[in-house]
Amino acid sequence: MLDNKISFTLNGKKVEFIGDPLRRLIDTLREDFGLTGVKEGCGEGECGACSVIKDGKLVTSCIIPMGSVAGSDIWTIEGIRDTELGAIIIEAFADGGAVQCGFCIPGMVLASYVLLSEKTNPSELEIREAISGNICRCTGYDLIVESIRLADSRRRGV
Amino acid sequence: MAATRIDDKIRRSDALSKARGEAKYVSDYFFDGMLYAMMLRSTEARADIVGITHPVLPEGYYFITADDIPENGVNSLHMIGKDWRCFASGDVKYVGETIGLFVGPSRAVLKSLVENTKVEYAVKEAAVSIDDAIAVKGGAILPEKDNDVMCQLYCQKGREMDDVFKDADMTLSETFETGFQEHVHLETNGAIVTEEGDSYVFYISAQCPFYVRKSVAGLLGLPLDKVIVRQTVTGGAFGGKEHFPDVLAGPLLVAESKIHKPIKLIFDREEDMEFSVKRHPSKVIYKSAIKDGKLIGTKGTIYYNCGAYLSASYVVLQRGVFHANGVYDIPNTYLEGYGMATNTFPSDAFRGFGAPQTLFAIEMHMSHIARRLGIDPADFKKSMFIKKGGETVTNGHVVEEVMLNDMFDNIAKESDYYRKSREYGYGSGRGIGVSFYNHGGAFTGNGEQAIIKAHARLKKSGEKVTIEVGSTEMGQGFQTSLRKIAATVLEIPIEDVDYPNPDTSIVPDSGPTAASRSTMVVGKLIERCAIEMKERWNEGDFSVEKEYEHPEGFPWDQETFRGDAYLGYGWGAAIVELEIDRRTNEVLVKGVWTSHEIGKAIDELIVHGQINGGVIQSLGYASMEKMENKNGHFKQTSMSDYVIPTSMDFPKQYYHIQENPYQFGPFGAKGMGELVFNGVDAAYVDALERAIGKEVYKIPLPPEDIEEALENA
Amino acid sequence: MSASCYIPENLTEALEIRKKVHAIPLAGGTDLMVQAKRGIGINPVFPAPIMIITNLEELKGIRVEEDGTLVIGALTTSAEIASDERVFYHIRKAASLMGAVSLRNSATIGGNIANASPKGDLPQPLILLDAEVVLSSIDGERSMKVDDFITGAKKTALKDDEIIKEIRVRPVKATHLFYHKIGTRRANAISKLSLSILADVEDGIVKDFRASSGAAGNKVKRDRNVEMILIGKHIEELPSLVEEFTSAWDGILSPHAMPKYRRESTRRMLSYFLERIAAGAEPGIIE
Repeated sequence: MLDNKISFTLNGKKVEFIGDPLRRLIDTLREDFGLTGVKEGCGEGECGACSVIKDGKLVTSCIIPMGSVAGSDIWTIEGIRDTELGAIIIEAFADGGAVQCGFCIPGMVLASYVLLSEKTNPSELEIREAISGNICRCTGYDLIVESIRLADSRRRGV
Repeated sequence: MAATRIDDKIRRSDALSKARGEAKYVSDYFFDGMLYAMMLRSTEARADIVGITHPVLPEGYYFITADDIPENGVNSLHMIGKDWRCFASGDVKYVGETIGLFVGPSRAVLKSLVENTKVEYAVKEAAVSIDDAIAVKGGAILPEKDNDVMCQLYCQKGREMDDVFKDADMTLSETFETGFQEHVHLETNGAIVTEEGDSYVFYISAQCPFYVRKSVAGLLGLPLDKVIVRQTVTGGAFGGKEHFPDVLAGPLLVAESKIHKPIKLIFDREEDMEFSVKRHPSKVIYKSAIKDGKLIGTKGTIYYNCGAYLSASYVVLQRGVFHANGVYDIPNTYLEGYGMATNTFPSDAFRGFGAPQTLFAIEMHMSHIARRLGIDPADFKKSMFIKKGGETVTNGHVVEEVMLNDMFDNIAKESDYYRKSREYGYGSGRGIGVSFYNHGGAFTGNGEQAIIKAHARLKKSGEKVTIEVGSTEMGQGFQTSLRKIAATVLEIPIEDVDYPNPDTSIVPDSGPTAASRSTMVVGKLIERCAIEMKERWNEGDFSVEKEYEHPEGFPWDQETFRGDAYLGYGWGAAIVELEIDRRTNEVLVKGVWTSHEIGKAIDELIVHGQINGGVIQSLGYASMEKMENKNGHFKQTSMSDYVIPTSMDFPKQYYHIQENPYQFGPFGAKGMGELVFNGVDAAYVDALERAIGKEVYKIPLPPEDIEEALENA
Repeated sequence: MSASCYIPENLTEALEIRKKVHAIPLAGGTDLMVQAKRGIGINPVFPAPIMIITNLEELKGIRVEEDGTLVIGALTTSAEIASDERVFYHIRKAASLMGAVSLRNSATIGGNIANASPKGDLPQPLILLDAEVVLSSIDGERSMKVDDFITGAKKTALKDDEIIKEIRVRPVKATHLFYHKIGTRRANAISKLSLSILADVEDGIVKDFRASSGAAGNKVKRDRNVEMILIGKHIEELPSLVEEFTSAWDGILSPHAMPKYRRESTRRMLSYFLERIAAGAEPGIIE
């Protein structure tokens, strides 16, 4: 079958993918672009470890075919980590004890990034809802929730 | 930079690299010319292999089987026993047993090779459950045996049971069951093998690099040092990467000896669910004698479903038996434990290591006795607490002050336990439940002294110090805790202490990262190394290495299982409050309160995270984590049908840490990784029983099983 | 090897491809990509040609027509549905409880209907509301009730040249609403059972009554004849009809797994709703 050429924006840069449009976005990101901060936890969109931001929205890259990515704006942890808000979240995660084995954390950071981009001073429930698609087996979530609150306070300067 | 002190609030050393997505897990390694591997596995629980037909291999593809093991090698993974075969040969003993390994450049091609390989079986009747094994269904699984008892032991404390039951004014006999539990470490199992010089090198997600080395070297008849194991950043383990990585490493090593190129094997989630070790399902029968409101004797019969190979099962069973009296000083006890061989995937280590099953059973049993006596379960349990010097089921003694009363007072006050216990009563739809538990730190008995003989080393170069130990970071925070211990003793900033992931060709064997032993044992070794290094600080660059020393005065006989099984326990008390939707049986947990005594927290934030995580795993175990096995096949095969808790399932936890410095641990610390899993399940079920006004005898309890419990009661 | 894959630029092109090679439309991918997955680093393989329609703007968005009919484009995501106040309560609620954030950002209403899983979240409230699905082909359009469109587990009446274009829901008068999904856990959950109920009570008379059960058989279960047991009755009569009604409802369910639990919890929820109405509950959502 013929390879398709798919253009999209990745971490702020225009890029092209040439290949099978059914290739999973996660494989393209990890293996073609070397963005291994995107983790595969379940391969079925259940665990959130492979979360990326597509056109401003949190999605799981393991169930997105490249054909759906044409013209999209994709951000991974590698692009978010040095943004102002991304760095605040990551620092807060480190200070707040949010990180244990770390495998879910890049996805968790992206979920937090989307939440804090959309909401200021989110409630505990809103935070828990926002990360409910990001499964963590280590932390029991409390310190992740606390760390997101910490990030929110810091970016508001309080 | 200022010198680090033990109570400083510090950042985990691995937090930033993980949160930034820079930490490299095994799946993130790519080598030039790297090939991939995929397993061909048994689809039958018990069968003879009649024939294997695979498609013609395209160029550059290989099919590796037991036939590729050289003459001076043995087809065996050397775990504790040597029964687990690297490749099934002649017959298969469980679904998922490795038959062969396809290796080649394209994973798509490998997948189709696996799918198009035909294994012809002569299928035999399988034994899957504990009851099947007791009935020796399909004939004995173990060679040269006429039953399916893989391992067994017994313990007696006090008088003969028959005698004790004659004194009883009330008896209660109950059977409790617990199910399989899957680890669901977010990172699936994976390994890469390659060659460097005349050595084989593994990059592997594992708890115990030295276990891997010992397990696989014999496949090729190699001396141990010709196999080098480098642990990669490990994305959770919980016991699931204690022995199981051997099952990946073995076939990879045999393949490497033929192919001589880097080979990568990463399980996808389905493989990791269906074809990996699980927590042992259990069946625990207690018969108790009660006299004048006191429990005077308990006879326990304990069955664990071990699967087809031993792996760690005997040790798991021992721990189950040794924890079967819970935190109670029951004056007369007879306990027998049976590890049953079945045709299921071998059960293996999982946080708690056999203790959670019996602790669940004894906690429920104690609550049920209390109910019959008309006493609040908390009060009945408190009246039976073991104390310092109290005799354990192995005729040893508790070495530390037992602080459960203080711990319970703390959480009872925080949760308003007694008021709620009275108000909610039995069957109101609301319930508050309580549990107590412990966990013996480190290896059982004289294991640390006789088997492990752990070593640890500190290396000084300039003003920097490197920790060289075989212990691994898998998320529990040990790399940070250990650096903190070393830095504090050396009075240097923690930033000047490095602790890379272990490489077996560099670090000494510190024993497995398991059994809640790392802080207590390896932490102590590093403390001793650091004390000496501190004294000799001005000698330039040098290393200090120490070996484990067993404290005097704690006898243990491994033949009879008598003596001091553990030199220190962690202790826990938990309260859970919940309400049940009477229409749907959905349970809403309103509060979780715990207190844990772990000697001393080396790092409170890390301990806090461990408590939260262990507690929620235990709540998942009690409520939603259902893994069934039908005819040898696990029924739940993905993260959508085997569900584990999300951020929305349980509320923010109250936690309390009880200080009680431990004489043999670094800075007074004991183990805690497993303790925090061991008991909240029972508090949850106690609360649930009170809410629905019925007793239940098994976990997990999703809504449909609560329906069944209501129906059957 | 995968069969061929197309990425049409617009609806007309999509319909032409559909007509010519019967390519299966892939919308959000949340079902199809999981069904076709092969493992890490391996491209999914489908048994037939695929056409990725994720970005077809013509099939996106929600609008309300002059007569109050709500029209939801087939590629509208669950997240968009859940956050749109114009969408009828049961649909909005079901959309908001589907999977987790990221899934709701990808999953579409058209995909959820076409997948026709008995556990699917959206068909259940759509069937309650007599929603219609509009099917487009290069030769024209037809529409039918979602209830007729889904013919069984994973089975629909979609012809091999058709694409789901939109879903149309005419206004339904109701005073009392109930929606409950019992998931495998409290969030990010697959449905073990779901139930929607609505009643329209005027001057104490039940003018309309409807219920639909998800994950209770090979498809969503609803039965007008059973609903008729209650329609036209005075709310004071409801307590005496609970047994008859819930038993009749039980008769239409055919759960293959955990049958007792699914039947009993459905019965208890239905009874509760009727008791609340009989007790004169204020109009609105019955929690």
